[in-house]
Amino acid sequence: MKQLEIKNLTMAFGGITAIDGIDMAVEEGEIRGLIGPNGAGKTTFFNACSGRYPVTSGDITFRGHQISGLKPHEIARLGLVRTFQHVTLFKSFSVVKNVMAGNYLHAQHSYFGSLLRTRKTRRAEADSEQRAREILDFVGLGDIADKTASSLPHGHQKALGIAIALAAEPQLLLLDEPCAGMNNDESRQMINLVRRIRDTGVSVMLIEHDMKVVMGLCDKITVLNFGNIIAEGTPAEVREHPEVREAYLGSQANVT
Amino acid sequence: MQHLDRAHKAAWTGLLIVALLLPALVAFDTYLIHVAITITLNVALATSMWMIWSLGFISFAHAGFMGIGAYTSALLLTKLGISMWYGLWLGALMSGLIALIISVPLMRTRAVYFFMASWAVGEVIKRNFAYFRDLFGGWDGVFDINPAKINLGFVQIDFADRVAYYYLSLFFVALIVLIIHRTNSSRTGMMYWSIHENELLAQHTGVNVFREKVIAFTVACTLAGLTGALYAHYQTYISPKSFDIWKSEFALVHVIVGGLTTVGGPVAGAISLTIVDELLRATGYFRTMFFGVVLIATVILLPGGLETIPGRLRRLFQRSGK
Ligand SMILES: Nc1ncnc2c1ncn2[C@@H]1O[C@H](COP(=O)(O)OP(=O)(O)OP(=O)(O)O)[C@@H](O)[C@H]1O
Ligand SMILES: [Mg+2]
Repeated sequence: MKQLEIKNLTMAFGGITAIDGIDMAVEEGEIRGLIGPNGAGKTTFFNACSGRYPVTSGDITFRGHQISGLKPHEIARLGLVRTFQHVTLFKSFSVVKNVMAGNYLHAQHSYFGSLLRTRKTRRAEADSEQRAREILDFVGLGDIADKTASSLPHGHQKALGIAIALAAEPQLLLLDEPCAGMNNDESRQMINLVRRIRDTGVSVMLIEHDMKVVMGLCDKITVLNFGNIIAEGTPAEVREHPEVREAYLGSQANVT
Repeated sequence: MQHLDRAHKAAWTGLLIVALLLPALVAFDTYLIHVAITITLNVALATSMWMIWSLGFISFAHAGFMGIGAYTSALLLTKLGISMWYGLWLGALMSGLIALIISVPLMRTRAVYFFMASWAVGEVIKRNFAYFRDLFGGWDGVFDINPAKINLGFVQIDFADRVAYYYLSLFFVALIVLIIHRTNSSRTGMMYWSIHENELLAQHTGVNVFREKVIAFTVACTLAGLTGALYAHYQTYISPKSFDIWKSEFALVHVIVGGLTTVGGPVAGAISLTIVDELLRATGYFRTMFFGVVLIATVILLPGGLETIPGRLRRLFQRSGK
C-alpha cells in the first residue's frame, strides 16, 4: 500500500527552486533512501512533507489525507514524524524528559487534569514516563535516561533525536542524516536501530551521505539533484545509473 | 513530572504558616501589615509574569493587564455599585478576554519583537486609561474603590480593616500561586518548557504551539487582572500611573532575582525585594537605582537567582561533610 504520495511537488524560496516538480511514492514497511549532493533539496523535501514550510505547488498525500497545507503538529498527529539534520533536542531537559515531551500526542494532556491532578492524570503521567523509558531502552539510551541531554556525546544526541520522534508514535519516520558525524561503530548501531524500527511496523525514509549505509540499509533509493529526481530504484540499480555516477559522485568516483 | 521533594514541601509549608500567623507575628502593626499586603500582590504579579516566561516570553504588558482588572472592578463599583465580590472575578475575566484578543497577533511575534510589541501594548493600555476621561477618570484616576463587607450573621467582617484584607489577599494569592505551580509541574508545564526550549521540535512532535501560547498568555493575564482588582480595592485609588511599564519592570526584577526555573523563584524574589524596597523607602530617589544594582549584582554574583541558594548550600555542606 502506498503510504506517502507526492505529486508534482515544487518548493521555491524566492528565486531558488529547491524542489522542481517531483513525483514519488513510499510504500508501507519500506526503508527508503534519499540521496543527492549538497544542496540537492533533500532537507527541503522533508521540510515540505513535515509542514515546516508551505509547499509552493503540488500535492502530498499521507495515508489518504492530503497533508500539503497542514501545520507540523497536524501532520505529526496523522503519524508522519521527522528528525532534523542538526541535532535538535530539548537541551536542558533530562534524557527521559525529552522523550516524555515527545510523547505529547499520546499523553492525554488536559488543562483541568493538570490543575486538579486527578488520578487519571497521574496515571497518564506515570504511563508516559514508563513508555519513554521503554523507548530509551529500545534505542540503547536506557542507562543514561536521567542525564541532561546537552551533556551527551554527539552519537547519543542523534539517537535521542530519534527516540523523541518515536515517542510521537509515527507510522512513517523521516530521518535527516541519522549517521552524520558518527564513527563506524556508531553508524553500525544506527543502521541496526533503523532496521529494528522498521521491524516494529514503522516505514522509514532517510537522507544519508554515507553510501555504505545507504546501500546496505535501504530497500529502494531515490536520487535528487538540483531539485529533480534523476534516478530511483534498488541499491543495485541506482549504483549502476550513469547519471548518478556523474552527478552525485563525480564521473570517476567508484561506487561501492 | 517534577513533584516536590521533602525539603521543598517543608519550605512551602513553613512559608504558609508564617503567612497565616503574620498579623500576630508583627503585633498587628498597621504599617507592617501594609507591607505584607504589598508583598502578596507583588508575589502574584511576579508569579503570573513568570508563567509567561515558562514559554520563553517576557511580557511588559503585564502591569497593563493588572490595570484592566483593577479598572474593571473599580468602575463596576463606583459607576454601577457592583461589589468587589463580583468585581474581582469580572476584573480577572475582562483582563483575560482582552489578553485573548491581543495575544492572537502578539503571540505570533518572537524574541525582541515580542518584547517591543508587549511594551507597546502595556503603554497603549495605560494611555487608554488616561485618554478616556469620562470613563476612566483620566490621569486623576478613580477614587473611593471601597472594599466590601460581609455579614456572616454571628460576625461582621469589614475588609477596610487591614488584617481582614491581608487574609483576603493572601487567600487569592495562594490560589494564584497554586494554580501556576500545578500547571507548571504537570504535563502542561512540560509542554510550556518544551516550547521554551525548542519550539520547532515541540511543533514537530504534535504540539499546537500557537494555541498553547495564546492559552498561557490569557491565563497569566487573567491572574494578573485578579491581582489588579485586589490591588484596587486595597488602595481604594488607582490611576494610569499605577500600571505603567515600571510596574512590569519591577515584577521582572523580582522574577530574575528570585530565579527563572521554578515557581519558588518569583515568590522568593517578590518577598525579599519588596521588603528591601520598604527598607529603602527613606532614601527616596535611590530606590530605583538600587533595583538596578540588585539586578546586576544578582546576575553576576548569584546566577540563577535566589532559588539556587538551597542547592548551593546543600553542595557546600556535602563538600565540607566529606
Ligand atoms: N529556508 C530556505 N530559504 C532559502 N533557501 C533555502 C531554504 N532552505 C533551503 N534553501 C535552499 O534550497 C536548496 C536545497 O537545500 P537543502 O537544505 O534542501 O539541501 P540538502 O539536499 O539537504 O543539502 P545537504 O546535503 O547539504 O543537507 C539550497 O540551495 C538551499 O540554499
Ligand atoms: Mg540537508
